[in-house]
Amino acid sequence: MSPTPPPAPPGFSRRTLLAASAAGLALFVAGCTSSSAAGPNAVTSKQENDLAAQVAVQRAVVAAYAAAGAADPALKTAVADLATQAEEQLAALRAAAPGARSSAAASTSPAAVGANARAWLRAQVKAAAASHATACLGQSGARAALLGSIAAGLRGQDVRLA
Amino acid sequence: MADDSGTLTMSTENAALREALAAEHVAVWGYGVVGAGLGPTGRGRATDAETAHRDVRDQVTALLAERKANPVREQAAYELPFPVLSAVDAAALAVVLEDGTAAAWVRVLDQAVERTTRELAVGWLSGAEVRAVGWRGAAGKKPVTSALPGLPKK
Repeated sequence: MSPTPPPAPPGFSRRTLLAASAAGLALFVAGCTSSSAAGPNAVTSKQENDLAAQVAVQRAVVAAYAAAGAADPALKTAVADLATQAEEQLAALRAAAPGARSSAAASTSPAAVGANARAWLRAQVKAAAASHATACLGQSGARAALLGSIAAGLRGQDVRLA
Repeated sequence: MADDSGTLTMSTENAALREALAAEHVAVWGYGVVGAGLGPTGRGRATDAETAHRDVRDQVTALLAERKANPVREQAAYELPFPVLSAVDAAALAVVLEDGTAAAWVRVLDQAVERTTRELAVGWLSGAEVRAVGWRGAAGKKPVTSALPGLPKK
Protein backbone atom coordinates (compact mmCIF):
# COMPACT_ATOMS: atom_id res chain seq x y z
CA MET A 1 0.00 0.00 0.00
CA SER A 2 1.29 3.44 -0.80
CA PRO A 3 2.08 5.53 2.31
CA THR A 4 0.67 8.54 0.50
CA PRO A 5 -2.28 7.39 -1.51
CA PRO A 6 -2.79 9.12 -4.82
CA PRO A 7 -5.54 11.73 -4.81
CA ALA A 8 -8.03 9.65 -6.73
CA PRO A 9 -7.27 5.93 -6.69
CA PRO A 10 -9.10 3.96 -9.31
CA GLY A 11 -12.28 2.25 -8.25
CA PHE A 12 -11.54 -1.26 -7.04
CA SER A 13 -14.69 -3.04 -7.98
CA ARG A 14 -16.28 -0.75 -10.49
CA ARG A 15 -13.38 -0.02 -12.78
CA THR A 16 -11.19 -3.06 -12.69
CA LEU A 17 -13.23 -6.00 -11.55
CA LEU A 18 -16.60 -5.48 -13.08
CA ALA A 19 -15.62 -3.93 -16.37
CA ALA A 20 -14.61 -7.24 -17.88
CA SER A 21 -17.81 -9.03 -17.05
CA ALA A 22 -20.01 -6.18 -18.20
CA ALA A 23 -18.22 -5.29 -21.40
CA GLY A 24 -18.79 -8.07 -23.83
CA LEU A 25 -20.52 -10.98 -22.23
CA ALA A 26 -24.07 -9.89 -22.86
CA LEU A 27 -23.96 -12.21 -25.83
CA PHE A 28 -24.45 -15.13 -23.47
CA VAL A 29 -27.88 -13.89 -22.69
CA ALA A 30 -28.65 -14.16 -26.36
CA GLY A 31 -27.63 -17.80 -26.37
CA CYS A 32 -24.27 -17.32 -28.07
CA THR A 33 -25.89 -16.20 -31.29
CA SER A 34 -23.09 -13.81 -32.18
CA SER A 35 -20.68 -16.67 -32.79
CA SER A 36 -23.04 -18.14 -35.34
CA ALA A 37 -22.69 -15.20 -37.67
CA ALA A 38 -20.94 -15.68 -40.97
CA GLY A 39 -17.39 -14.39 -41.28
CA PRO A 40 -13.90 -15.25 -40.15
CA ASN A 41 -15.15 -16.41 -36.75
CA ALA A 42 -18.12 -18.39 -38.02
CA VAL A 43 -18.71 -21.62 -36.15
CA THR A 44 -17.70 -24.73 -38.05
CA SER A 45 -19.80 -27.87 -38.13
CA LYS A 46 -17.07 -29.63 -36.16
CA GLN A 47 -17.33 -27.00 -33.43
CA GLU A 48 -21.11 -27.44 -33.39
CA ASN A 49 -20.75 -31.21 -33.12
CA ASP A 50 -18.12 -30.90 -30.41
CA LEU A 51 -20.33 -28.58 -28.39
CA ALA A 52 -23.24 -30.99 -28.75
CA ALA A 53 -20.97 -33.74 -27.40
CA GLN A 54 -20.35 -31.63 -24.30
CA VAL A 55 -24.09 -31.47 -23.72
CA ALA A 56 -23.98 -35.25 -23.41
CA VAL A 57 -21.02 -35.01 -21.01
CA GLN A 58 -22.95 -32.59 -18.80
CA ARG A 59 -26.09 -34.73 -19.00
CA ALA A 60 -23.98 -37.55 -17.59
CA VAL A 61 -22.94 -35.32 -14.68
CA VAL A 62 -26.58 -34.62 -13.85
CA ALA A 63 -27.29 -38.37 -14.05
CA ALA A 64 -24.29 -39.06 -11.82
CA TYR A 65 -25.69 -36.80 -9.09
CA ALA A 66 -29.00 -38.67 -9.32
CA ALA A 67 -27.31 -42.06 -9.16
CA ALA A 68 -25.04 -41.12 -6.27
CA GLY A 69 -28.00 -39.65 -4.42
CA ALA A 70 -30.01 -42.82 -4.93
CA ALA A 71 -27.14 -44.91 -3.59
CA ASP A 72 -26.50 -42.65 -0.60
CA PRO A 73 -29.47 -40.57 0.61
CA ALA A 74 -27.31 -38.59 3.06
CA LEU A 75 -25.03 -37.60 0.21
CA LYS A 76 -28.05 -36.58 -1.85
CA THR A 77 -29.01 -34.07 0.84
CA ALA A 78 -25.45 -32.85 1.31
CA VAL A 79 -24.85 -32.10 -2.35
CA ALA A 80 -28.33 -30.95 -3.41
CA ASP A 81 -26.99 -27.49 -4.23
CA LEU A 82 -24.26 -28.95 -6.41
CA ALA A 83 -26.79 -31.08 -8.28
CA THR A 84 -28.88 -27.98 -8.93
CA GLN A 85 -25.82 -26.18 -10.28
CA ALA A 86 -25.02 -29.12 -12.56
CA GLU A 87 -28.54 -28.80 -13.99
CA GLU A 88 -28.01 -25.07 -14.43
CA GLN A 89 -24.82 -25.78 -16.37
CA LEU A 90 -26.68 -28.28 -18.54
CA ALA A 91 -29.38 -25.71 -19.30
CA ALA A 92 -26.75 -23.16 -20.34
CA LEU A 93 -25.07 -25.69 -22.62
CA ARG A 94 -28.38 -26.69 -24.18
CA ALA A 95 -29.16 -23.03 -24.87
CA ALA A 96 -25.79 -22.67 -26.59
CA ALA A 97 -26.22 -25.88 -28.60
CA PRO A 98 -29.89 -25.99 -29.54
CA GLY A 99 -29.15 -28.66 -32.14
CA ALA A 100 -27.93 -31.15 -29.56
CA ARG A 101 -30.12 -34.20 -29.18
CA SER A 102 -32.21 -34.07 -26.03
CA SER A 103 -32.37 -37.79 -25.33
CA ALA A 104 -32.12 -38.78 -21.70
CA ALA A 105 -28.79 -39.94 -20.37
CA ALA A 106 -28.40 -43.63 -19.67
CA SER A 107 -29.24 -44.34 -16.06
CA THR A 108 -26.50 -45.52 -13.75
CA SER A 109 -27.12 -48.57 -11.59
CA PRO A 110 -26.32 -48.48 -7.86
CA ALA A 111 -23.79 -51.24 -8.50
CA ALA A 112 -21.88 -48.95 -10.83
CA VAL A 113 -21.76 -46.29 -8.13
CA GLY A 114 -20.11 -48.70 -5.71
CA ALA A 115 -19.66 -48.51 -1.95
CA ASN A 116 -18.24 -45.01 -1.84
CA ALA A 117 -20.78 -42.88 -3.67
CA ARG A 118 -18.99 -39.62 -2.88
CA ALA A 119 -15.69 -40.79 -4.33
CA TRP A 120 -17.45 -42.17 -7.40
CA LEU A 121 -19.36 -38.92 -7.90
CA ARG A 122 -16.20 -36.89 -7.47
CA ALA A 123 -14.49 -38.92 -10.17
CA GLN A 124 -17.39 -38.28 -12.57
CA VAL A 125 -17.32 -34.53 -11.86
CA LYS A 126 -13.56 -34.36 -12.26
CA ALA A 127 -13.64 -36.20 -15.57
CA ALA A 128 -16.40 -33.93 -16.90
CA ALA A 129 -14.44 -30.82 -15.87
CA ALA A 130 -11.41 -32.07 -17.80
CA SER A 131 -13.57 -32.87 -20.82
CA HIS A 132 -15.16 -29.40 -20.89
CA ALA A 133 -11.77 -27.72 -20.43
CA THR A 134 -10.32 -29.65 -23.35
CA ALA A 135 -13.35 -28.96 -25.53
CA CYS A 136 -13.08 -25.26 -24.70
CA LEU A 137 -9.76 -25.08 -26.53
CA GLY A 138 -11.32 -26.03 -29.85
CA GLN A 139 -14.10 -23.47 -29.60
CA SER A 140 -14.06 -19.69 -29.83
CA GLY A 141 -16.05 -16.72 -28.62
CA ALA A 142 -19.01 -17.30 -26.33
CA ARG A 143 -18.85 -21.07 -26.70
CA ALA A 144 -15.26 -21.20 -25.45
CA ALA A 145 -16.17 -18.90 -22.57
CA LEU A 146 -19.16 -21.03 -21.59
CA LEU A 147 -17.25 -24.31 -21.65
CA GLY A 148 -14.37 -22.77 -19.70
CA SER A 149 -16.76 -21.42 -17.10
CA ILE A 150 -18.50 -24.78 -16.69
CA ALA A 151 -15.15 -26.55 -16.41
CA ALA A 152 -14.15 -24.13 -13.65
CA GLY A 153 -17.50 -24.57 -11.91
CA LEU A 154 -17.07 -28.34 -11.88
CA ARG A 155 -13.54 -28.00 -10.53
CA GLY A 156 -15.04 -25.98 -7.70
CA GLN A 157 -17.54 -28.79 -7.12
CA ASP A 158 -14.64 -31.25 -7.02
CA VAL A 159 -13.18 -29.23 -4.14
CA ARG A 160 -16.51 -29.34 -2.30
CA LEU A 161 -16.77 -33.09 -2.79
CA ALA A 162 -13.23 -33.78 -1.51
CA MET B 1 -13.65 -5.48 -26.93
CA ALA B 2 -14.25 -6.83 -30.37
CA ASP B 3 -13.30 -4.59 -33.25
CA ASP B 4 -15.93 -2.65 -35.15
CA SER B 5 -16.87 -5.68 -37.24
CA GLY B 6 -17.28 -7.92 -34.20
CA THR B 7 -14.49 -10.14 -35.48
CA LEU B 8 -12.08 -11.77 -33.07
CA THR B 9 -8.47 -10.82 -33.78
CA MET B 10 -5.15 -10.65 -31.98
CA SER B 11 -6.18 -7.12 -31.11
CA THR B 12 -9.32 -8.28 -29.29
CA GLU B 13 -7.32 -11.01 -27.57
CA ASN B 14 -4.62 -8.60 -26.39
CA ALA B 15 -7.21 -6.12 -25.17
CA ALA B 16 -8.85 -8.84 -23.08
CA LEU B 17 -5.46 -9.94 -21.78
CA ARG B 18 -4.72 -6.37 -20.71
CA GLU B 19 -8.04 -6.31 -18.80
CA ALA B 20 -7.13 -9.61 -17.17
CA LEU B 21 -3.70 -8.27 -16.27
CA ALA B 22 -5.33 -5.27 -14.62
CA ALA B 23 -7.51 -7.64 -12.58
CA GLU B 24 -4.44 -9.66 -11.59
CA HIS B 25 -2.70 -6.48 -10.41
CA VAL B 26 -5.74 -5.79 -8.23
CA ALA B 27 -5.65 -9.33 -6.85
CA VAL B 28 -1.95 -9.14 -5.95
CA TRP B 29 -2.54 -5.83 -4.18
CA GLY B 30 -5.79 -6.96 -2.57
CA TYR B 31 -4.33 -10.10 -1.05
CA GLY B 32 -2.02 -7.90 0.99
CA VAL B 33 -5.14 -6.47 2.60
CA VAL B 34 -6.69 -9.94 2.93
CA GLY B 35 -3.59 -11.26 4.70
CA ALA B 36 -3.56 -8.35 7.13
CA GLY B 37 -7.26 -8.88 7.85
CA LEU B 38 -6.91 -12.60 8.46
CA GLY B 39 -4.17 -12.30 11.07
CA PRO B 40 -1.27 -14.72 11.62
CA THR B 41 -3.31 -17.93 11.64
CA GLY B 42 -4.96 -17.43 8.27
CA ARG B 43 -2.24 -15.48 6.53
CA GLY B 44 -0.71 -18.54 4.88
CA ARG B 45 -3.70 -19.08 2.60
CA ALA B 46 -3.65 -15.45 1.56
CA THR B 47 0.06 -15.66 0.85
CA ASP B 48 -0.44 -18.76 -1.29
CA ALA B 49 -3.19 -17.03 -3.27
CA GLU B 50 -1.11 -13.89 -3.68
CA THR B 51 1.77 -15.98 -4.99
CA ALA B 52 -0.53 -17.69 -7.49
CA HIS B 53 -1.80 -14.33 -8.79
CA ARG B 54 1.72 -12.93 -8.87
CA ASP B 55 2.78 -15.84 -11.09
CA VAL B 56 -0.17 -15.28 -13.43
CA ARG B 57 0.51 -11.55 -13.52
CA ASP B 58 4.15 -12.13 -14.46
CA GLN B 59 3.26 -14.61 -17.20
CA VAL B 60 0.63 -12.30 -18.74
CA THR B 61 2.98 -9.33 -18.54
CA ALA B 62 5.67 -11.32 -20.34
CA LEU B 63 3.22 -12.52 -22.98
CA LEU B 64 1.96 -9.00 -23.73
CA ALA B 65 5.50 -7.59 -23.71
CA GLU B 66 6.62 -10.28 -26.16
CA ARG B 67 3.78 -9.21 -28.43
CA LYS B 68 4.64 -5.53 -27.92
CA ALA B 69 1.06 -5.16 -26.75
CA ASN B 70 1.52 -2.61 -24.00
CA PRO B 71 1.02 -4.53 -20.73
CA VAL B 72 -0.80 -2.38 -18.20
CA ARG B 73 1.07 -1.34 -15.05
CA GLU B 74 -0.22 -1.72 -11.52
CA GLN B 75 -1.73 1.31 -9.80
CA ALA B 76 -0.14 2.70 -6.66
CA ALA B 77 -3.27 1.84 -4.69
CA TYR B 78 -6.86 0.77 -5.18
CA GLU B 79 -10.08 1.68 -3.45
CA LEU B 80 -11.49 -1.15 -1.35
CA PRO B 81 -15.11 -2.11 -2.11
CA PHE B 82 -15.84 -2.25 1.65
CA PRO B 83 -13.91 -1.84 4.89
CA VAL B 84 -11.91 -4.90 5.97
CA LEU B 85 -12.36 -4.99 9.73
CA SER B 86 -12.41 -8.72 10.46
CA ALA B 87 -11.34 -12.12 9.18
CA VAL B 88 -14.79 -12.55 7.62
CA ASP B 89 -14.41 -9.24 5.79
CA ALA B 90 -10.99 -10.37 4.59
CA ALA B 91 -12.42 -13.61 3.23
CA ALA B 92 -15.23 -11.68 1.55
CA LEU B 93 -12.63 -9.44 -0.09
CA ALA B 94 -10.79 -12.53 -1.31
CA VAL B 95 -14.04 -13.70 -2.92
CA VAL B 96 -14.32 -10.35 -4.71
CA LEU B 97 -10.74 -10.67 -5.94
CA GLU B 98 -11.20 -14.22 -7.24
CA ASP B 99 -14.58 -13.49 -8.82
CA GLY B 100 -13.06 -10.42 -10.48
CA THR B 101 -10.21 -12.36 -12.01
CA ALA B 102 -12.60 -15.16 -13.02
CA ALA B 103 -14.71 -12.65 -14.96
CA ALA B 104 -11.60 -11.33 -16.65
CA TRP B 105 -10.47 -14.81 -17.71
CA VAL B 106 -13.90 -15.67 -19.08
CA ARG B 107 -13.64 -12.46 -21.06
CA VAL B 108 -10.30 -13.64 -22.45
CA LEU B 109 -11.88 -16.95 -23.49
CA ASP B 110 -14.61 -14.97 -25.22
CA GLN B 111 -12.13 -12.78 -27.11
CA ALA B 112 -9.14 -15.06 -27.75
CA VAL B 113 -8.05 -16.32 -31.15
CA GLU B 114 -5.06 -18.39 -30.04
CA ARG B 115 -5.65 -21.89 -28.69
CA THR B 116 -2.64 -21.49 -26.37
CA THR B 117 -4.23 -18.39 -24.85
CA ARG B 118 -7.47 -20.28 -24.22
CA GLU B 119 -5.45 -23.03 -22.55
CA LEU B 120 -3.85 -20.54 -20.16
CA ALA B 121 -7.15 -18.77 -19.53
CA VAL B 122 -9.17 -21.87 -18.71
CA GLY B 123 -6.48 -23.01 -16.28
CA TRP B 124 -6.32 -19.67 -14.51
CA LEU B 125 -10.11 -19.38 -14.46
CA SER B 126 -10.32 -22.77 -12.75
CA GLY B 127 -7.65 -21.77 -10.25
CA ALA B 128 -9.63 -18.66 -9.35
CA GLU B 129 -12.83 -20.64 -8.78
CA VAL B 130 -11.08 -23.31 -6.71
CA ARG B 131 -9.67 -20.62 -4.42
CA ALA B 132 -13.02 -18.82 -4.35
CA VAL B 133 -14.76 -21.95 -3.03
CA GLY B 134 -12.58 -21.87 0.08
CA TRP B 135 -12.98 -18.14 0.60
CA ARG B 136 -16.77 -18.22 0.19
CA GLY B 137 -16.92 -20.79 2.97
CA ALA B 138 -14.71 -18.65 5.21
CA ALA B 139 -16.88 -15.62 4.44
CA GLY B 140 -20.07 -17.52 5.32
CA LYS B 141 -21.43 -17.25 1.78
CA LYS B 142 -23.73 -19.93 0.40
CA PRO B 143 -23.51 -21.73 -1.87
CA VAL B 144 -19.74 -21.91 -1.80
CA THR B 145 -19.62 -23.07 -5.41
CA SER B 146 -20.65 -21.24 -8.55
CA ALA B 147 -22.32 -22.95 -11.50
CA LEU B 148 -20.90 -20.54 -14.05
CA PRO B 149 -17.90 -18.71 -12.61
CA GLY B 150 -17.01 -15.48 -14.34
CA LEU B 151 -20.24 -15.20 -16.28
CA PRO B 152 -22.75 -12.47 -15.48
CA LYS B 153 -25.58 -13.60 -13.24
CA LYS B 154 -28.88 -13.77 -15.05
